[in-house]
Amino acid sequence: MSGLRMSRLRMTGDRWGDVATYLLLGVLGVFFALPFAWLLSLAVRTPAEVYLGAARFIPQAPTLDNFALILSDPAFLTYLWNGLKLSAAGATLAVLLAIPAAYAASRLDFKGKNAILVGILAVQMISPLVILVPLYRWMVALDLLNRDLSVIAVYGALGMPLAVWLLKVTFDAIPKDLEEAAAIDGASRLTTLLRITLPLARPGIASAFILAMVTNWSQFLIPFILLERDGDWPISVAIFNFAGSTSASTTQVLAAACIVAVLPAVAVFVALQRMIVSALVVGAVKG
Amino acid sequence: MTAASPARHSRGPAPADGHPLPWLVPAVAVLALFYAIPVLDVFRLAFSDASLLAPATRVTTDAVRGTLTDPALLSVLGTTAVFTGITVAALQLMGLAIALVIIRGEDRGLPGMAAFRTLVLAAWVVPGIANGLVWGMLFDEAPYGTLNSLLGSVGIGPVAWLSDPQMAMVSAMIANLWQGTAFSMIVFYAGRKGIDPVLYEVAELDAATPWQTFRYITLPLLRRLIAVNTILIAVQTLNTFDSILALTGGGPGRATEVLALFTFNTVFYNLDLAGGSVLALLLFGISMVLALVVLRGMGRERAAA
Amino acid sequence: MRAILLTTAAIAALPSLGAAQELIARNRVGLADAPNTLTFSLTAYDLYSSDPATKETFEGLFSDFIAARPDWKIETQLQTASIGQEQARLLQQSQAGRGPDCAMIDSSQLATFIDAGVLKPMNGVFSDDEVADLFPFVRDAVTDADGNVLAWWWFTDLRVLYRDTTVVPDAPQTWEEVQNAALAAVEQGREGILFNGGRWEGTAFDWMANFWAQGGELVDAEGRPVFAQGENREKFLSAIAYYQDLVDSGAAPARVTSITDYDAFNAAAAAGSAAMFVGGNWQYGQLRGTLDEATFANWQVSELPGPTADMRATGTGGWSIAALSDDPEKASLCGEMVKEIYAGAGNAAQGLLPTSAAIYDQFDTYDGPEYAQFSDALQNGVARPGATIYPEISNQIQILIGDVLSGAATPEEALETADAAVQAAYARQ
Repeated sequence: MSGLRMSRLRMTGDRWGDVATYLLLGVLGVFFALPFAWLLSLAVRTPAEVYLGAARFIPQAPTLDNFALILSDPAFLTYLWNGLKLSAAGATLAVLLAIPAAYAASRLDFKGKNAILVGILAVQMISPLVILVPLYRWMVALDLLNRDLSVIAVYGALGMPLAVWLLKVTFDAIPKDLEEAAAIDGASRLTTLLRITLPLARPGIASAFILAMVTNWSQFLIPFILLERDGDWPISVAIFNFAGSTSASTTQVLAAACIVAVLPAVAVFVALQRMIVSALVVGAVKG
Repeated sequence: MTAASPARHSRGPAPADGHPLPWLVPAVAVLALFYAIPVLDVFRLAFSDASLLAPATRVTTDAVRGTLTDPALLSVLGTTAVFTGITVAALQLMGLAIALVIIRGEDRGLPGMAAFRTLVLAAWVVPGIANGLVWGMLFDEAPYGTLNSLLGSVGIGPVAWLSDPQMAMVSAMIANLWQGTAFSMIVFYAGRKGIDPVLYEVAELDAATPWQTFRYITLPLLRRLIAVNTILIAVQTLNTFDSILALTGGGPGRATEVLALFTFNTVFYNLDLAGGSVLALLLFGISMVLALVVLRGMGRERAAA
Repeated sequence: MRAILLTTAAIAALPSLGAAQELIARNRVGLADAPNTLTFSLTAYDLYSSDPATKETFEGLFSDFIAARPDWKIETQLQTASIGQEQARLLQQSQAGRGPDCAMIDSSQLATFIDAGVLKPMNGVFSDDEVADLFPFVRDAVTDADGNVLAWWWFTDLRVLYRDTTVVPDAPQTWEEVQNAALAAVEQGREGILFNGGRWEGTAFDWMANFWAQGGELVDAEGRPVFAQGENREKFLSAIAYYQDLVDSGAAPARVTSITDYDAFNAAAAAGSAAMFVGGNWQYGQLRGTLDEATFANWQVSELPGPTADMRATGTGGWSIAALSDDPEKASLCGEMVKEIYAGAGNAAQGLLPTSAAIYDQFDTYDGPEYAQFSDALQNGVARPGATIYPEISNQIQILIGDVLSGAATPEEALETADAAVQAAYARQ
């Protein structure tokens, strides 16, 4: 009797919980969706209506011309491709560098471990903002200016600290027994890492990769200062080409470009969301 | 697999020994070559008279003295503390709340959870310039401004979103929250998912209230994650300037001019490379102290546990 | 993914390009195998504009230019719209010896580049008459003491007072008339007058007209900041009091301290909320495109009012093009490009204000009545001072206006703070 009553009580309790869930998500949903609604509103305007700004939400003469203009511009595709290439390569480098470092931090005891970990974190704390000028001169000296490699290397250095942290957490969560068993079988540490630890850490690697890639995707200053040729620019820099001039506003084109630029990153998210999530699950708490 | 093959050597490496150097060299080398060397240059520039117009000609502490005694610096630091403190707290709360609610929804099989998660993530990748564009229209204080029109229809307002110094700060934080929540959400979502479900089953058997479950299971187990997330978010927030630049430019007056924006203005508006370098080092110092304090707190907690 | 598919389809569907366009590529003008190369750093406002009509006109101009010089090709480098960073990058590039041969430079930054010694003379291209025909403030900015032409300022702009004649029939000539007209408009449910008051360059620049109208000077002949000294101090404070009174009396809404964009005025005009605003000449064309014909007919421009009807000034901006190459042949080509493409045909195509009187007569574009107003107002045009300290002065004025209008500081306090900050920065330069 009482058990039945309790479960009925809980049933109604859960129902109310569902209502509360949707209520909260509804409010937050409006908060997160409203800016997109405005971006879309701008993106489908004609030049005549774009100056109405916030004065009109639904355009009288909505048009897809802005999207057509963006998508028919071969340069736009190049920018998207450059963005994808640079951010993916930079993220790959960050993860490749982070794997051995995170492994050492997780599996080896050595003096000054914390100092080194904090040191790696510290480097990331200097904003690209001010090292730009030294960075520019340094890349000129290394003869890397205007080469993708310069941007990729800096992305690698910038993205590594977060990747080291994420991967250390992931490695910590993988039981040492497995490695010890392999070690008894005579496998070297490198072999153990490659054959046993890394496959198990795949989700963690994926999440580190994705977080690094997203950060790179929206980087402006670094590619801006290191790549001087328009054809080399990623979308995050080139998007400023669509900002208006005094004689003709192109805000509507800019808005359309922003929406299109978001899509590839969202596509990556949707495809890999499951992987990010399962990755962090492995060891987030134990970390 | 290795485990299945017969032993060829009697002993492999023990778990905790081995030289760390080979493992660390690639990371440290790239960091040093492509980032640390330019960073060292910042130290040199801070003690020079360099500007974007002319390279350094001498070693001097003029820039250090001039920058640190600038009366504006104090108000900028105050603004930075308020902006960073509240933003970091809000980002964590919002990220945590969304993560927990989404997980609840998923556990109950409610539809729409993945869509909501994607929406939050999409805000993260919107180009900064779009952030300024749309929030500028939302906060527009003209009679037709979006938020004020919405509030007006229910009899509230109008709110001086951007023209009032205090309110402008709140608005800048809201716009930043919109873009930044995704990161915390991912971290906490994963953290909460990683908690052993058995604990929640036990709590349910004990008829614990949702608050008790949160207070005595979720929160304690997420504490370390919260600490690490605090460092990461605080450093990101301290270095945020583009969304503020696009929304208020730092104004009205200096009401929303945070240290990162002040640094940006010093370098790119006043072309003062030496002064900008001093400010960059100050920013770095603050980040570092913050990180050490949090890490220390974490270490103490672990020792106590 | 869909975006990429769509793009691929769009590219495949493109018609084969005409002969004229083969000369124009995304990063080049001219034939790829031409023996000589001029590198040109330009904004995305003309040849690579997102506005198809503008783009087409400039493609034609560039094609003609390069067809007459088959030995040359122009390698183009786009500048982004973040002017501050572009300027910093251009300075870095030229100091590292990697700068472009020819570049577009915002007129307000010309002095910085001239001081940095990176601009090379283009003397042979422009005759003495052509230089003499430039507006005085333009001529002063582009020539040095020895008469070298270091840049060509190819279009200018200015600030004027826009009004809706249904609410404000007669153009206010003085500050007092502005306030009265604005207050009358407020009684009819309008926002009296709008102006830039947020934290950006436009705020300081638009306001300076009120200071200049009284003969105020920001810097002295040596480039020392003197805006808070002697007579300048009084002039400064009275120009600030003008703005402060507008806001305190309700003639201007408090929201002006949030306006960091001229486009906000277009929106207010379109929504019918504002009766007057201090805007740029280029907004006239924008309003024509945005408002319906009847509403547009109600909007008129007039010279910015002064403290009295005969004390007037207006800030003038615009863009210039300068040579950075040591090679005299390239410097000349840069100058010829300005002359044949930008100053003249390029002005007319975009309705931009030419910097020399002769061009106004040359093109039909300038027959409209608004251009008569503009060229009258240009008589009182003042350019920003060509001093290295200018950006900091502007920065401090932006802060001052925000603080005073939002009530965070009194004008006197704010002026003390601004002056102390500017003097400290000047001492370190």
